[in-house]
Amino acid sequence: MITLSEEEQDALQEIMNISMGQAADALARLIQTKVALSVPAIEALSPEAFQGMLEGLKSSWSARQSFVGSIRGEVITSIQKEGCEALADIMDFDLPLDKAATEELVLEVTNILSGACLQGFTSQLELTTQLNMPAFYYPENAIKNIDWSSVLVIEVDFKIEHMKFDARVLIGLSEGSIEQALIPIRALLEE
Amino acid sequence: MAIPITIADDSALSRKTIRRVLPADWDVTVHEAKNGVEALEAVNNGLAEVLFLDLQMPQMNGYEVLHELHDKHKKTIVIVISADIQPEAQALVNSLGAFRFLKKPISAEELSDTLQEVGLL
Repeated sequence: MITLSEEEQDALQEIMNISMGQAADALARLIQTKVALSVPAIEALSPEAFQGMLEGLKSSWSARQSFVGSIRGEVITSIQKEGCEALADIMDFDLPLDKAATEELVLEVTNILSGACLQGFTSQLELTTQLNMPAFYYPENAIKNIDWSSVLVIEVDFKIEHMKFDARVLIGLSEGSIEQALIPIRALLEE
Repeated sequence: MAIPITIADDSALSRKTIRRVLPADWDVTVHEAKNGVEALEAVNNGLAEVLFLDLQMPQMNGYEVLHELHDKHKKTIVIVISADIQPEAQALVNSLGAFRFLKKPISAEELSDTLQEVGLL
């Protein structure tokens, strides 16, 4: 399993911090509400543990997007079910949300948060990736055939207290991609 | 004479990045602080005529540092460099007396323009 040095860990965290700042700004401007940010958590996991993490998303609505290019992996946006209606209300959805509207809401928020998080991350590291369309994701339909020998998970949390809105974005990178991402990070640290 | 400046940020990469984009012809002595407490110490010890201040830091965050400087009527020129770029963060920082709010990732050009605007270059 991959191990990061303290400096690499700090650098990844800072780069992700900037990316999630951009994502939160995009959401805050859309709904005219301040979004609280967490400190990004970075963890190296076995594929089984990553799978377990995904299966644990049952109290949330989730959507996944895969990305390909100079690094590849999965971005998963997971929104606590409890805060969805309040957000939907601000975003002018008809309440109560039916299945189709829920999926539409989740996919829209995913596009904003996952897109900005990944875009911020790759542009700072001058990597090129292409993000595929998000798909609604039910944890019971586990992501099969992850043949990655090790996964690096970067997790960030967006909260809007008074709405009970709580969304997590997980970026999973495969082992080869971690190495690719570390090349520009090490260069930044050496300059 | 060289101006004492302090870069306050908990991330080593971020402190390094700010050092890297400082104008080459700006005569300064650079100090570093890893949290708000160290940032205030630097100000009190005369090491921060200009303070580059991150907002999210452990122990004491950037907002608390701004409050403290404001309450004590300190003359330090504070330039906030933040990853949280939401309109509310910018408004709060401005109300607390920061000279400028710059977004991370910071570029050399942007920093140079800002220093010129506030009359430091």
